Amino acid sequence: MKFSTPGSTQESELKAGLSDYNLDILSRKRAGLIWRLIFQASTIVGIIALMILILNIINSAYGYTALKAKVDPDTLAVEGVPLEEQNHGQLVAVLQSHISGPAYKKLDNEKPFSERSEADVRALVIARVVRLQVEKTWNLWDSLSKSGEINTEVARDYPDAELRFTSWLNSDFINRPQTSEPVTAGIRTAIYGSLWTILFTVLVAFPIGVGAAIYLEEYATDTWINRLIQTNINNLAGVPSIVYGILGLAIFVRALEPLTSGQIFGIVDPTTANGRTVLSAGLTLGILVLPLIIINAQEAIRAVPVSLRRASYGIGATKWQTTWSHVLPNSIPGILTGTILAISRAIGETAPLVVVGASTAISFDPASPFSKFTTLPIQIYQWTSRPQDEFRALAAAAILVLLMLLLTLNAAAILLRNRYSGRF
Amino acid sequence: MMRIYNKKGIQEQRETMARKTFENELQKVKDAVLVLGSMVEQSILDSVAALKKRDLKASERIFEQDKQINQKRFDIENQLMILIATQQPMAHDLRLLASTMEIISELERMGDYAKGIANINLRMGDQPLLKPLIDIPRMAQKGVDMLHRALTAFTKEDVELAKSIPVEDDEVDALYNQVYRELMTFVIQDPKTMERANWLLWVAHNLERVADRVTNICERTVFIATGVMAEIKSTDDEFWERQKKE
Amino acid sequence: MQQNIETTEKPELVIETRNLNIFYNDFRAVSNVNMSVKRHRITAIIGPSGCGKTTLLRSFNRMNELVPGSHAEGEVIFDGQNLYDPMVDPVEVRYRIGMVFQIANPFPKSIYENIAWGARIHGYRGRMDGLVESCLRQAALWDEVKDKLNQSGLALSGGQQQRLCIARALAVQPEVILMDEPASALDPIATLKIEELIQELKKNYTIVIVTHNMQQAARVSDYTAMMMLSDAQRAGTVIEYNETNIIFTRPQDKRTEDYVTGRFG
Repeated sequence: MKFSTPGSTQESELKAGLSDYNLDILSRKRAGLIWRLIFQASTIVGIIALMILILNIINSAYGYTALKAKVDPDTLAVEGVPLEEQNHGQLVAVLQSHISGPAYKKLDNEKPFSERSEADVRALVIARVVRLQVEKTWNLWDSLSKSGEINTEVARDYPDAELRFTSWLNSDFINRPQTSEPVTAGIRTAIYGSLWTILFTVLVAFPIGVGAAIYLEEYATDTWINRLIQTNINNLAGVPSIVYGILGLAIFVRALEPLTSGQIFGIVDPTTANGRTVLSAGLTLGILVLPLIIINAQEAIRAVPVSLRRASYGIGATKWQTTWSHVLPNSIPGILTGTILAISRAIGETAPLVVVGASTAISFDPASPFSKFTTLPIQIYQWTSRPQDEFRALAAAAILVLLMLLLTLNAAAILLRNRYSGRF
Repeated sequence: MMRIYNKKGIQEQRETMARKTFENELQKVKDAVLVLGSMVEQSILDSVAALKKRDLKASERIFEQDKQINQKRFDIENQLMILIATQQPMAHDLRLLASTMEIISELERMGDYAKGIANINLRMGDQPLLKPLIDIPRMAQKGVDMLHRALTAFTKEDVELAKSIPVEDDEVDALYNQVYRELMTFVIQDPKTMERANWLLWVAHNLERVADRVTNICERTVFIATGVMAEIKSTDDEFWERQKKE
Repeated sequence: MQQNIETTEKPELVIETRNLNIFYNDFRAVSNVNMSVKRHRITAIIGPSGCGKTTLLRSFNRMNELVPGSHAEGEVIFDGQNLYDPMVDPVEVRYRIGMVFQIANPFPKSIYENIAWGARIHGYRGRMDGLVESCLRQAALWDEVKDKLNQSGLALSGGQQQRLCIARALAVQPEVILMDEPASALDPIATLKIEELIQELKKNYTIVIVTHNMQQAARVSDYTAMMMLSDAQRAGTVIEYNETNIIFTRPQDKRTEDYVTGRFG
């Protein structure tokens, strides 16, 4: 019996000896270390950029303000009752007596005074009559580091003004409707506008998006037309949002005006007689985020293990039974994650809404799908485009609110997702 | 590379690296069986030679050899058990291991026959042989020869060779009959020779059984190689069948 | 290894393939298979990796169709009906011929739901609690899980999960159960439990099992089909089909011999 024995000449030539290896572990580790440092540096740069952004916003949102009242509030006392204690009727009277007739009528048209709350009317009096005006603002850094200089500057340049440390982000700011005066301006209408718009965005995009994803993943066969559809969806996700705005303007605002303005339902909002409504905005944003939701839902559905589908088919389940009982419940966390991303994108969109016709200045809250509206990003955009510093401070405060709103929505969606995925 | 024998006992070389360790172990088992076989052959020849020379010392040595044969058989059996437990033999390997178990048991019995012959020599004490031994050594030589070739057939898994051996059992049977008749003549002439004739008849009987057991080894060899378990018929069997029918 | 096949009673054929070829697009994975599966017997399919064992098994309940581009030529006769007849609904095929997979894949639901779901989708109207208990008992799992039927099926050990999958397959009362290497991911004790269970199930079901553990095939099966890539077409085919004790003691084909003795190189 002749086994080929190891150690024949050929094999020993092939066999590598210790000297053939260059065990330079140190230099290998060094190369790794250099790469690690590069990656760390990238992370640090990113974090620093984010920090600068947020600090910059906070820096603008707080600081000293020199304020001057156009009409001294003390002169507005009626029968010795100061402004702060006047009732609804007295406030309306003060307002009526201090502003022009047409202006009063316009306010009454937007929302009858009888329906407005006392606080609302008092805010209007302060905004339209007292008209506190900002002479100059300083940012947080200057306010903290150079308060002495600021004091002397105010005393010298604005003798009538009162120097106040202002937090532009405060509960009044969130609760007040929008006005043209920076001191009394608020973002309540914008917050409601954003929430309404997002509601319709989700109502439109979520069911359609998930439905399309299910069709594409579970039912569509690999034909050229389905591949074309898939490619188009992927491409649509990258189309500039302004294009969706133009589409929304053409379709929802113009072509479908009877629907989006509520005419066919007979509930036309008195403030809008056209299609520039919350509904149009919601539909437009819905179309905008639809590809995102479809792609993310497809990913989630694709991530459901094949073994689970096989198990289901293996006991004779139909395609729909498999999809409904196993694929969907197991992909819901992923689908929700995709939806969170989509909402985050929609809530920050400005351009398409400008095109669709978001109002830039309204002082009442949207009350139905057919109301005029404005949204936070629009408000921010409008304020930042104003030359005065105080508007920039307002914009910073609004940005903080927008960020918080985003975080809240995300947190809610994450909680929802964890509840689903943690079931088993 | 491994060794494979085709059914004609010709070695084939096949390129396979699988189960090299197991192959080596199987080869070791076969080698051990050959060693055991040659020990048995030696023992048979020695026992008959001792009887022929009435050498009691030599017969005592047979007992010692038998102990070694038994020990060797247990060693091989143990080796087989380990292989069955650890290697999960299937098909040919399983047949080889299971049959080897049987073959070593046969060899051990043959060793016992040699011991029996040695025992008879000792029991005979100082009594002379009834007659000079001629056919009995011939029977021993024939049986050992058959055993030797049977073990060759076993290691080579040579079916043709294995099938050709049992026929030769007839020669041993013929010698046995001749010894039997001869001894009967002595007994009839002088009934006092009964005991000494009986001893020699025992010896012849033991040697006849050796040849029978060789047949068993051949049958096992055929089974290992082909998977067919069947008795190989010799004319002896046919004779008995004819007797039964009549 | 001896399975005591009662040769006196001739087992009835349940599945029979006639010149079965299975393709993935243009690639022929399985070629010209003619074999049969006998009622209340365990049929094992063995062979080296990649020879089409699983493909052949899946063709018995048309699970192959879930792989895009796969199609079959030839016939698989089940109960006198060609399964690949255009009139036959794969859903019904899979209802009558169940399947257990290589890696235990219980639904991410409770133990109870794992079994009840299959029965429910097929419109089971009987007492669900009784059905769940009976299936778990048949799968030798009842005693281990009876106090935690509402726990997740994924919380069980690997072997228990696989038995749960077998119980799940039983819930729809199939005639044949196909098992694709059901114990390959389990430890030896869990494997033996599954094998014991398969022996029990044989009384009421017909079982086809794919395994590359030859000892397992030898231990559990009554009949064995040996598959191998045929040299001519590089497609898997059954090279020997016989009673298990013959395959493992005296196979007729040299390739089977080499494979079962571990010398397949």
